[in-house]
Amino acid sequence: MKFVITLITAALVAAPAIAAPDGAKLFAEKTCNACHGAKADKPLMPNYPKLAGQNAAYAEQQMKDIKSGARNNGQTAAMKGVMHLVNDEEIKAIAEYLSKLK
Amino acid sequence: MKASLLLIGLLSAGIAIAAPPAPKQQGIEGKDYKWNAQEGEKVEALHKKGDVKNGQEVYEICGACHLPSGAGRPDGTFPQLAGQHSTVLIKQMADIRAGLRDNPTMYPFAATLVDPQELADAAAYINSLCIPLEHGKYEGPDAAMQVAKGKDLYEKQCLECHGKNGEGNKEKFYPVIAGQHYKYLLRQMTEIRDGHRRNANPDMVKVIKPYSNDQLVAISAYQSSLVMPGNMCKPKAAKKK
Repeated sequence: MKFVITLITAALVAAPAIAAPDGAKLFAEKTCNACHGAKADKPLMPNYPKLAGQNAAYAEQQMKDIKSGARNNGQTAAMKGVMHLVNDEEIKAIAEYLSKLK
Repeated sequence: MKASLLLIGLLSAGIAIAAPPAPKQQGIEGKDYKWNAQEGEKVEALHKKGDVKNGQEVYEICGACHLPSGAGRPDGTFPQLAGQHSTVLIKQMADIRAGLRDNPTMYPFAATLVDPQELADAAAYINSLCIPLEHGKYEGPDAAMQVAKGKDLYEKQCLECHGKNGEGNKEKFYPVIAGQHYKYLLRQMTEIRDGHRRNANPDMVKVIKPYSNDQLVAISAYQSSLVMPGNMCKPKAAKKK
């Protein structure tokens, strides 16, 4: 039963919310593009990730973990400084947008 | 031979640039800290004449966060830079590049500037921009009270260095604070007081050490209300004379 609920929740989460924030706009507005590149495929530094085409669920979780401090390795110090600019709903929209890029 | 040496030089420079995090230089936490020691690329940049036109090109990478206008963000994430003294801009960029001021978000961007001339150029361009009239101020029902309380405190101990209108002092590396975002001012003053701004001026640390959080809020509220005559952008609807 629990498993089924998880599945249903997952399906709901994956469905685009009504009037969801615009991921493309957020990506530029919240300065993501400065480090990850205008199209999310040319990062500023060789040790920053390419994000275009990344799985939405993975991108969302990484953003949340970096924001909360649960993840604090690698280059997270550079990103933590801007993560207060986005809330969970906006993170999700950005993750969705990234997953659709090639 | 020369060519291969040059290549090795270029490669190692490339590796240095492509390897954050920043170096760590001893700052105010160290015993023999000398504020604003006149050394390294900072001195070179200070002696060069900044080229505004080239600075505009250099600034392109900065503008992603600080905005093309230099206005930064009212939430204090990125400071307002337009109209800042070139000396202050050069010092802060050089300090971040040298690992004397910790700024992991900005470091990789600052590291892309290739030489002291580019520092001077970027600083000259940013200095040439007018200070936007719109910026983050203290918001709350008690704003008038906070500003008044902050004015008292500011005039007692801050004005001497930062000036009546928050104009700072170019020669002494004191920043312009007029037009700066309230939240950024509060964050920096708190970090300077608590020893986190490792490139801070010990004279300022001494002054600010005894202040409470509430007092810093009031001072920031007042500072962000300051207007520097002549340096602010003209309101768009200005009448032609």
